Formats: sequence, structure tokens, C-alpha cells
Amino acid sequence: MTAQAELDGQETETMTVREAIRQGLREELERDEDVLIMGEDVGAFGGVLEVTGNLYEEFGEEQVRDTPIAEAGYVGAAVGAAATGTRPVAELMFSDFMGVSMEQIMNQMAKMRYMFGGKTEMPVTIRATEGGGMGAASQHSGTVHTWISHFPGLKAVAPGTAAAAKGLTKAAIRSDDPVFVFENKMIYEQKGEVPTDEDYITPIGEASVEREGEDVTVVATQRLVGESLTVADGLSGDVSVEVIDAQSLYPLDTETIVESLRKTGRMVVADESPVSYGTHAEIIARAQEEAFFSLDAPIQRVGTPDTHMPFSTPLEQEVLPDGEGVQNAIEKIV
Amino acid sequence: MTDYTLETEDDRLEALRRMLTIREFDTKAGHYFADGEIPGFVHLYIGEEAVGVGTCAALDPDDYIASTHRGHGHCIAKGLDPDLMMAELFGKADGYCNGKGGSMHIADIDSGMLGANGIVGAGPPLATGAALSISHQDRDQVALAFLGDGATAQGQVHEAINQASTWDLPAIFLIENNQYGEATPVEKQHNVDQLSDTAQAYDIPGVTVDGMDITAVYEAVQEGRKRAANGDGPTLIEAETYRYHGHYEGDEQNYRTDEELQQWKDRDAIDAFKARLIDRDELSEAEFEEMQAEVEETIADAIEFAHDAELPHPQEAYDDMFSDTVPEIEKFANRARTDGGDSR
Amino acid sequence: MAHIGLIVNPSAGRDIRRLTGGASVVDNYAKRSTTVCVLDGLTLVDETVSVEIMPDKTGIAEHAIGEAPSELDISKVEMPIKETAADTRRAAAHFRETADAVVVLGGDGTSRDAALELGDVPLVSVSTGTNNVVPTPVDGTVAGAAAAVIATAVVDAETVTTRHGKIEVRADDVNGEKHLTGLATIGITDRPFVGTRALVDPTELLGGVVSRAHPAAIGLTSVAGCIEPIAPDAPGGAALRFGDPDETPRSVRAILAPGMTTTIGLESHESLDWDEPAVFELQDCVIGADGEREVELADATVTMTPTANGPRLVDVDGALQAASEKGALISDRPLADAE
Repeated sequence: MTAQAELDGQETETMTVREAIRQGLREELERDEDVLIMGEDVGAFGGVLEVTGNLYEEFGEEQVRDTPIAEAGYVGAAVGAAATGTRPVAELMFSDFMGVSMEQIMNQMAKMRYMFGGKTEMPVTIRATEGGGMGAASQHSGTVHTWISHFPGLKAVAPGTAAAAKGLTKAAIRSDDPVFVFENKMIYEQKGEVPTDEDYITPIGEASVEREGEDVTVVATQRLVGESLTVADGLSGDVSVEVIDAQSLYPLDTETIVESLRKTGRMVVADESPVSYGTHAEIIARAQEEAFFSLDAPIQRVGTPDTHMPFSTPLEQEVLPDGEGVQNAIEKIV
Repeated sequence: MTDYTLETEDDRLEALRRMLTIREFDTKAGHYFADGEIPGFVHLYIGEEAVGVGTCAALDPDDYIASTHRGHGHCIAKGLDPDLMMAELFGKADGYCNGKGGSMHIADIDSGMLGANGIVGAGPPLATGAALSISHQDRDQVALAFLGDGATAQGQVHEAINQASTWDLPAIFLIENNQYGEATPVEKQHNVDQLSDTAQAYDIPGVTVDGMDITAVYEAVQEGRKRAANGDGPTLIEAETYRYHGHYEGDEQNYRTDEELQQWKDRDAIDAFKARLIDRDELSEAEFEEMQAEVEETIADAIEFAHDAELPHPQEAYDDMFSDTVPEIEKFANRARTDGGDSR
Repeated sequence: MAHIGLIVNPSAGRDIRRLTGGASVVDNYAKRSTTVCVLDGLTLVDETVSVEIMPDKTGIAEHAIGEAPSELDISKVEMPIKETAADTRRAAAHFRETADAVVVLGGDGTSRDAALELGDVPLVSVSTGTNNVVPTPVDGTVAGAAAAVIATAVVDAETVTTRHGKIEVRADDVNGEKHLTGLATIGITDRPFVGTRALVDPTELLGGVVSRAHPAAIGLTSVAGCIEPIAPDAPGGAALRFGDPDETPRSVRAILAPGMTTTIGLESHESLDWDEPAVFELQDCVIGADGEREVELADATVTMTPTANGPRLVDVDGALQAASEKGALISDRPLADAE
């Protein structure tokens, strides 16, 4: 569905991605008292990146809990709680910290339903911030969503707009499966129109066509959605660019992407994760499987060049994928 | 369901029956594993029966347990059906997990069994989470994690106990110290002599009990449960016990002596409990023989059930990944349906 | 050379009483530290003493030997380690033949196990917790010093030790005759099956016999002490029978366990002389000595008799005071001259 069609007829409000996520959390906390937010400093402090804000004051400690700095422990507790009747939403302050909790993610959260022959629900949401651009260096800037998208039994979403940020957060919480919401921290201040309907959700597994075009398809995620839209506007008149926010990484909306590729014949995949063996490759593999004969040019990848995120600004800017990279990729194939 | 205690004569006989059932189940599981009929690994609970049964007798039927890779005993103590357990070990569709889990992953959330677990130390965070659900919904339950002496060295175990203690959650952590973490003796894995001493790190009570004495385990868990249910937070209990078989079936056991094994067998928990019941005139040798024969029949029936049960259809490999279907897996499932998966 | 025996029970202070009451936990780190303090205390006297320590599997003895002051001649008792109370008894039996004084670190249970084997050897019983009747909570260094002044005959052991009593129990039930010996108390609980190592519910306490009594003690000795104190070295003891306080003629407020103050219904209190038996007819019950559950009984006749021949307990304060009074702890010339 196109982004505009999605919003047509909806009452909306302009807000930032941060506010949109918080509104999504607030609505779900209100709707279902079994929704529990937990994480490091998410309570009284309001979150290091201020996403949970005043939810602690609004809902109290029973629903918004500060945890020890112990990712394995509280992610594991979220898994145990999800199997026994509550709906935890655990925050990983920086996705780089996921390594600490990986055991509970890969061997418990992802596998319990399957190993037990379907005899448990696992309604757990993990929110994790990703992305470079603020000089936070290698251990606080990673983009790791490929790990989770790759690992069977986990669902992964990564919003690029304020509307999707709210809609996917809510969809994740309502899902009976483990869903990771990857929030790029550089777009928390990005504004957009967000539906105010309390039951507005962005279905997991659906991409959003953010801008229609005829000549080239840019499949983007997170921060690169907005930057690609800017590039598309700048190229208008010369090149007609269609921009798709993948939104959901697993399951991936192959159909929307392939439909666009059939129309344009050219594609750029822009995602901040490291390029090799990754999210870009998966999207491209599916594109060639489904629409090989529609391809007019090699599909381009825009991502982090297989390095970690360095600290110093010129170094970080060197490796951080951006609109310029998207524009170069487009110009290479049109 | 753990609908027995140690308070009445009938319940004590039931507890003894469960101990015998565990031993018979695992004895036969060992045989069928050796014969190659049970695939994978099996980790037998033989020798540790008093711990599982003493613990579950002290819990309420609705309480949760998180188990370990050595979980058959916990399942039987908690009241799971040996037929469905054995069918799971044989990889059959009628098993608890429809053949997807096997020995190391038997689970039955409805019976409060949060799963055996192939990862050493992974159970305690799950129990903390279950205790969080209980506390959040103000339910009259507790969650107990079984963990081994080996698991006690795991970081996530510390995190789980610390969190449950900090939040005063209704949890109990029960260390089954069977003296060896796989093949390495406990002294080589821990600086503390008594693993219950680590309780001091969490400002919770820690006790060590004789894991070969079912009543000692029962009493400690009973007290732990009382504390948990009162909102006083978790308790750490160490039960000193011994596994008569290897870490896994077929393990050479070159790390211990026959003499050491015999010393523990001399204190066998089933023999001791049986002797006490006979001493108290609650059981006669003849009644014990009868009970043993009934248990053997129960397990023989379980094996027959497992033998006769159907293997899962290969197509079921594609089920149960999520609460709904995802196109990625559907694609493979459809291909398998049409051509047996050859074009995958 | 004066010879000191040292017994440290590695498993004392960890049982279920930590759960059922307010009993404190003593970890091995604390036990090791206290043990080294005892060894340091032994150097208070000029004479070099030799020390033998009970071996264990938890490293307490090893640590003590490693950390012992260099002037001590220290070694482990050569004996097998069973990791049960049998270790304490075996070590004590050895010290009965070899030691001039023995220091025991543990609770009532450990003191009893040691005391029953020690014969006339003076015993310094150090509580590694805070809730014991027989051992005293005293600093390890002070305890060591007291053992040293006695072992080296700086003070006369006769004047600073007291003879503790004992209680001999004989039970006849459906399964025959059973025997048990207690130091301070023999208690009866009517929780018929579950072998409680701790008193969980005061209404389950049926009574028992004590060899000493004081309201400042804990447990059955406290109950008896609320009625009539009996000094540890006083002859005889007392038999107590309890009932529902709503029905018994008298009741007693006593400290039954750490953290447990309660009202006990008193059916009868009977003073006993040495060798005067008290007989109890019991249904299903458990009898225990010095706080530890010992024997399960069904339809039993139980005879409990205070006897005189208990251990010689060292009065730690008295021993050091006597040493001081003799001037044994001061030197009246410059240290350089002495050497």
C-alpha cells in the first residue's frame, strides 16, 4: 500500500518518531494492563534516549519497570513472562548490547514455540536502538537487525517514518510472536503525520510505498527512507524514483518490492547494516528470484562498508550510508 | 499436576511411587537409547529422584517449574504423563512436543512445566519471568527454577536471581548439586564450598539440604514457597545429590571412581524413603513389590504407547514457527507439499 | 609441648533453620578467618604449642595451615573425611588421647558431637552463629588464647572449666530400642513424619528434657529457664510437658527459635536429679538432641535421663582472667633482655 493511501481518511497529528513510539506504547499500556515495559532506565529516568518519557509517571512501576543492567537476565525474564500470561516490552538501550542477551534470544525466545510443538505463545517485544551518526563509537552505534531477521523464529521490523514507528510498535506488542522493533536513533526527531486512531497498526510483513516513481525503485529502511525521499525530490524532473520503506524485515513484503521492480526495472537497496551477507543481499535475492527478467541493470547496495562505526566525525561520515550514496547508486544505473 | 504432598500416608506412598516411576522411566529410556531407538542424547535423572519429587510435593499444582537438560524426573514429579513423555523421546507425533523437542525440551506450560532446557543456566531467567507474570497479575502461584551446580557458574543465573531478589518476586532457585558439571567436579568450577553461600550476594536466604533425603528437600522448598507466596522474595536451596549414570548416556565416566559412586548408592534416596515408610508401618515389603510391579507396567505401557505412536509427517517440520504463517516458510512448505521438498 | 586440637565444622550454620527462623548464615570465608584468629590467639603464651586440625574438603584446614603464625607447629589429623558428623566425632576421639585442650567452631550440634568423644579434655566451644546454647559467641583470637593458657598450664584447668551435663535417651518403639545422647536439650515434636531439622510450628513441640536452663537461652532451654534456671554445671535437669495453652494450668513466654517468641502451654515441669529418668509415652513423633532432628518414633516409650559425666567446658573469660591475675600476661623486663 502506498503511504498516502494508508493515511487517507485517517485523522492524523504531526509528531516526531520518538513521540509516535511513545504514543504507541502509551496506547498499548492503556489497552492491556498485561503489557509491561522494562529496560535500563526506562522508568523514572524516562529512557536514555527519552523514548519512554513520562510513561512511568502515567502507569507506575508495575507496568514500567527499571531493570538492573543485566540484559540476559531481563530479556530472559521477558521470555519467561511472555510464556506465562503477560506481554512484556523490553528495551535494549543500544542494539549493540544484544550480544549480552543473545542466549535467551536465540535459544529460548526464538525456539520455545517450535521446540514445544506450538504449545506456548511468545508475545514479547524487544525495542532496540540502532545506527551511527552521533559519535557514539562502535559499541553504541551498531545496526544488527540482520542477525535477528536471519534467525528463525523471530520477527523484525524497522520503521522509517513516524507513522510506521507507532504502527509497528503497536503491531509488535499485539503480536503473539517475538517481534524486534529496531529504532534508528538519528530519526527520533524526524516529524511526520501519525494517525491518532488507537487501533491504528502497521501490519507486520507489509512494506509501504512512500513515493511513487517510474524509473528506479529504492528499497530503504530507517533513516535512509527519509534521505532517499529527499534524493528523489532532488532528482525529480530527471529521474522518477519510487521509494519503498521496507518497514518489516522478517517477514519481508516481497510482493510490494517485486511489483515495483517489475514497473521500474531498476533497484537500489539502502540499509545501514553492513553490506556483506546481509539484509541487502536477501532483498536482492528475492528480487531476482521473482523478477529476474524485469531487471534492466544490476541492483545496487547502499550500506555500511563492512566496518564498525568509528568515533571521529570524518571517519563516521565516511562509512555512514546516506542520501548521497543513494543518489550515486541511482545515477549509476539509470 | 503436583497434587501430592508428604503430609499424609497416601501422599507419601504417591511420592515414593513417583520416585520409582522416574527411576524406571529413565532406566528404560537408557536401554532404548542404547538400542538406538531413541535418537539424540538422553541425560538420566537416576539417583536424584528425591530432589525432583521432594520439590514438586512442596509446590502447589499451579506452580511453575523451569527444568534442565536432565528433566525427565522433574516432568514426572510435576505430574506429566509418561506416555506422552516417552513418545516425545521416541520422536513421535503424539509426544508432548509433537516430536519437535525430544528429551531435552519436554514442556507442558498448562501443567506448569516451562520446559526442559538444553542450555545450562537458561532456566532461571525464565522462572524469574514467570514469577514476574505471577506478581504482575497477583496470582497465587510461585515459579521454581531447577539448575545444576554447573549452571550456578553462569552469568545469566546470577542476573536472574539478582533481579528476582531485587523485585521480591515469588521465585525459588533450586540447585541440584550432583557434584559434577558434565565431567568436571564442582570444586573445580566454584570457589565457594556450599553453592547456597551465593545467596548472600542477593540478600536472600540460602540453605543446603541433603538431596538424598526427600523430606529435607520437601521442607526447604515448603519454606521457600511460603516466603515466595508471602512476597518475601526468592530463596536459594542447594540439594546435594548424585547422578548414578554419566552426564549423558554413554559417557565414559573416567572422572569418578566406582567407590565414590557406591558411597552415594549406599545412601540411595529411594531405599531410604522406602525404609522409613516400612519403619512407620505405612508400607510392607509386599506392598512395595506390588508398587514396583505397577510402576514397571506403567512404563512398559508408555513404551508400548511410544512404539505404536505415529512418526510426525515431514510436512509438520514447517509448523509452529509462529502464531501465524509467514510467506517465507509457506513457500518452502508449499514446495514440500507438491514435490516433497526436492526443489528447495 | 602443649598440644591443641582444633575442629571446624564446615557444614555448620547452613541448614534449614536459616529459612524457618532468624538463624544467621556463617560462610566458609568467615569460618576460615575465625580459624586463623584462633591460631593467632594460641601465640599469646610464651611457650610454643603444637596444633592439630581436623581435615575437611572445603579448604578450611588447608587455609589455616597456610596462614598459621610461623611459631606454631601445625598439622592435620590423619583421618578419612566423610563430610558428615562422623568426622567431628573421629577427630574428637583422637584429641581425647592427644590434646591438652580443644577448640571447636560450630553450633550446638557440632559441640555435642565433639563433647561426647572428648572425655576430660577441656573444650573451648566457639559459636560460629549467634543462636546456640552451649557454644559461646566469642572472638576466635580470645578463644585461642584461653585454650593456650589452659593447655600450657599457665592456669589450672580445674578452676576455669565447668562440667556440663548430658541427657541419655532410650526409646522403645515398634521397631525396637534406639539410643540418643544430648548435651543441653532433648526435644519432642509431634510432626509425625516430616523430619524437621527445625521447629517450624511451636504447637508441634510436645516437651522434652534439659540439662541446663536460662531465660536468655533459645529453645527448650529458654522455656525451662523461664520457670526455673539451671546452671550448666548444676546437677540434674528438668522435664517439661506441653499442651494447648488454652487448656494447660500454666503457660510460658519464651524464645523458641531465633526470631520466634511464643506462648507455650505448660502441662508440667519436673526437676530431675542426676540419673533420675523422665518417661514419655509417645505416638508419632520425632525426638531431637540439641536442635537437630534425630529419631522418628511410632508408639514409643521414651526414657530421658540427665547424667553427670558431660564435657569440661572452658570459661573463656575466667581462663584469661586467671592468667592475668597470675601475672602470666605481663613481662617485667625489657623484651630485648628476655631474648
